[in-house]
Amino acid sequence: MRNVAIVGIGYTPVFVSKRRDVCIPEMISEAVENAFKNSGLTPADIDAVVFGNMHTFEGLNLPHLWSADFIASLGKPVMRIATGGTTGMSAFHAAYYHIASGLHDVVMVVTYEKHSEGDAQVGLMGIITPEIMAMLAAGIDVTGQKGMGAIGGGSAGGISYQATSYLHHSGAGIEHIDAIAAMERRNASKNPYAHLKDPEATAEKIAQTPLISWPIRFGHVCPTTDGATVCILASEEKAAKIADKAAWVWAVANCASDATTGNLIEGIITDPGEQMPATIAAKKAYERAGIQDPRKEIDYVEIYNGFAHQTLMFLERIGMCEVGEAHKLLEKGELEMSGSLPVNASGGVVSTNAIGTSALNRVTECALQLMGQAGEHQVEKEVHKALAHGWGGLMQYVTITILADKPKKL
Amino acid sequence: MSVQEETFLTPVVPLDFTYNYYIGQYLTRYFKGFKEKKILGSRCPGCSKVAVPPRKYCGVCNKVMEEMVELPQEGTLENFTVGHVTMEKGGRLSPAEKPYVLGLIKLDDKASLLLHKVEGVDPSQVKAGMKVKAVWKDQVEGDYWDLDHFEPA
Amino acid sequence: MDKKVAIVGFRMKSAPDLVTTRERLTFELTRGLFDDLGIEREDVDTTIFCTNDFLDGRTISNCFLEGPAGCYMRDESKVEMDALNGLMYACMRILSGQYRTAMVVSLALTGYQVSPYLHIEYQLSPIYDRQMRLLNELSAAALQARSYLTRYGYSEELLDAVAVQALSNAAANPYQARRIPGVSKEKVASSSPYYEPLKELHCYPPTDGGCVLLLASAERAKELTDKPVWVLGMGQSIETFYLGERDLFRSPSTVKAAKRAYELAGIKDPKAEVDLAEVSALFAHQEPLLAEALGLLEEGAAESSYQSGDTAVSGKMPINPSGGALGGHPVSATGLIRAAEAVRQLRGEAGENQVGKAEVAVVHGQDGPCAQQNAVVVLGV
Repeated sequence: MRNVAIVGIGYTPVFVSKRRDVCIPEMISEAVENAFKNSGLTPADIDAVVFGNMHTFEGLNLPHLWSADFIASLGKPVMRIATGGTTGMSAFHAAYYHIASGLHDVVMVVTYEKHSEGDAQVGLMGIITPEIMAMLAAGIDVTGQKGMGAIGGGSAGGISYQATSYLHHSGAGIEHIDAIAAMERRNASKNPYAHLKDPEATAEKIAQTPLISWPIRFGHVCPTTDGATVCILASEEKAAKIADKAAWVWAVANCASDATTGNLIEGIITDPGEQMPATIAAKKAYERAGIQDPRKEIDYVEIYNGFAHQTLMFLERIGMCEVGEAHKLLEKGELEMSGSLPVNASGGVVSTNAIGTSALNRVTECALQLMGQAGEHQVEKEVHKALAHGWGGLMQYVTITILADKPKKL
Repeated sequence: MSVQEETFLTPVVPLDFTYNYYIGQYLTRYFKGFKEKKILGSRCPGCSKVAVPPRKYCGVCNKVMEEMVELPQEGTLENFTVGHVTMEKGGRLSPAEKPYVLGLIKLDDKASLLLHKVEGVDPSQVKAGMKVKAVWKDQVEGDYWDLDHFEPA
Repeated sequence: MDKKVAIVGFRMKSAPDLVTTRERLTFELTRGLFDDLGIEREDVDTTIFCTNDFLDGRTISNCFLEGPAGCYMRDESKVEMDALNGLMYACMRILSGQYRTAMVVSLALTGYQVSPYLHIEYQLSPIYDRQMRLLNELSAAALQARSYLTRYGYSEELLDAVAVQALSNAAANPYQARRIPGVSKEKVASSSPYYEPLKELHCYPPTDGGCVLLLASAERAKELTDKPVWVLGMGQSIETFYLGERDLFRSPSTVKAAKRAYELAGIKDPKAEVDLAEVSALFAHQEPLLAEALGLLEEGAAESSYQSGDTAVSGKMPINPSGGALGGHPVSATGLIRAAEAVRQLRGEAGENQVGKAEVAVVHGQDGPCAQQNAVVVLGV
């Protein structure tokens, strides 16, 4: 095992609804250029590239092929990773293993999504459409027990069951979802790379947005964003030469459940709020990082929250607090940038969601906090260890990355 | 362990999604050129290669190709194929009504080869090295098929 | 890479139409592999899927394979490319020291259920090539074939010779999908023309199939098998997307990938040190083209190599003794199937297609129009 560090980060200049001015590879190249500027590296320094996005969203198969000329990759190994919402972090993990294996020294992760070119909800429906269509064709009642919990459209339909479960088990109320959504929109207003920003956001304001499917309101849901994120990783020896400041990888882990989680399996409803993979992946990551008590040792957390309740729910699932405690921490202001457990100072996925980038942005935002380079959204407390969480697949796949401000003792 | 032979329902499930692509800054310039019946390319400041159609990056030099250059309308057929099938949407092959020619055309020594239809010649008579010229639609609109095909010069 | 990671077992299956579902095929292959090795799913530390959402017709299609593959509540990821890249990722994971075993799972039902040509169609630029509709997988390959033949002054008969060798090998290989008994040059030459110079039997057939393969660290491999096949080297590279800027008659990305793989394997003279190659040649011309890029055939000597039988099963440099992708191409799984075929050779289990000396094999996988991206793995015993 070798130590691996983040030595460069590049975002597109903006994360917005529609980048009408550029085509896909042009947009990606902006983030690549910024990563080179940020790290002081040149294309010649890069040994390999890992590329990730959710390709049905743009109707492009293996888009790294079209983008090859735009991402400084010609003549290099390029690996394409795709695991749904977690793609960005799965790509980061692949880059980590490129280096940890001893085969490469400097690896660039390139992720993007240009949602404006397709329809994300249609893309998401594509997960279950074949079943639904097949059932319709075969004359099976799709609204019955094999409806896959997706009736209601896209991920928002399925997610309301999860939010309901979370509220039931935690004792939190819909007002807490409003409050965490408001906090993240306020945080986003301090992040130049966030999409939905509202410095004046309050729980009351969010509560006035229309309900989609109880308890999910419009104000709880992520936008669809155009943007790209690039992250450059290096081995310990190279990192010392490249960067004054680096964020060090202490552990990566992931866990998959079954795609039918959240649905009826032989008459038993499995709970979409249980999220056992998050608990398992976090436990593995803590072990690998040598963390005994995450609540004491982790200073900062970035949660993948396509929907606002997930910030609270996943804090509980990954063991950063007890079940039923997250909304109380929120009430006390502990999750704010000034609090004792700051979460999603970036504004989270609920404020910015270019899906391919979303799980990688959780990692890069932790890195910025660790390096003290988060600018206006730098949290008040000192950050020595941070945890980034990714969530995706069909609501059943979780990735975890633990970073620190110094290399791990091997 | 063996798996029992069974028959399965095999319903047809077309997944027709609609996408709206933004063509970006460089292809926009290409089609603006079409409105004046011009073929434009972008020149790399590193290797001075000209990309047709133009695009932002030269991947070999990792340089932005900002300079636009106009290319001649006559060139050489470098490579070609005669199609006896057509591929329909969905990737289904069907026999072509009659054989047709696709060619890679060199408009300039420094220019990338442009793929286009070659018409006005018996497919069996087509030879690499032939001189060909661009044929435009009468009414050009700044769209893909303004440059209709190439034919022997 | 020394002998740090080994292939300890595989299962594969191909046919023109398997009449099955992805989930069922995944279970059949992975359960079969577990039974072969006497292991259970808990013995697999991590799983790498290599399937393609476009061909599977659904987003994040691997979600539905995790249960059948035995990685429920376990560790997995997905490399959405030719599965030889998945094998490389699995190796990286083991080399990092984090995992002792890693399984690669790849399959595609591109025989009956969906057209394999969609794979390339959706790779083309949506703002140019897909609007023009001139380029597709077959027309691109035809331009590459013409470029290759013209460059070296070969006649179109070379394509027939390559196809006959590949299809004859495939006919004797029970794992292949397209098995034509007594295939002849006349039969190949009289098959339907697609895009000149390519005819139907110069091209891969639409195929259903899959392959799973288990890799293990040196220590764990010794517990699992008496016949480990070692991953000695690997490399991968990509070239420009734009066909009009590529010298289609050669494959510089394969040259680069092979250079890296040979360096890691300590191979200085591939012609002398490599005993056989399993190359993902989807079209007849690609087989000699890629074998040249891999440094196994002399550039410009393809015609004489195929005529003299050098590349045949009994020749001095057997290329695709399995029959290669002309015998079957379940898109994405093909590179992994090449690896499994090499394992059969290296273990001396290739039956009628067994080559003489088999100690070092080169395996190749490709992605993109006209093999824009290439992966190379060196295996040995």
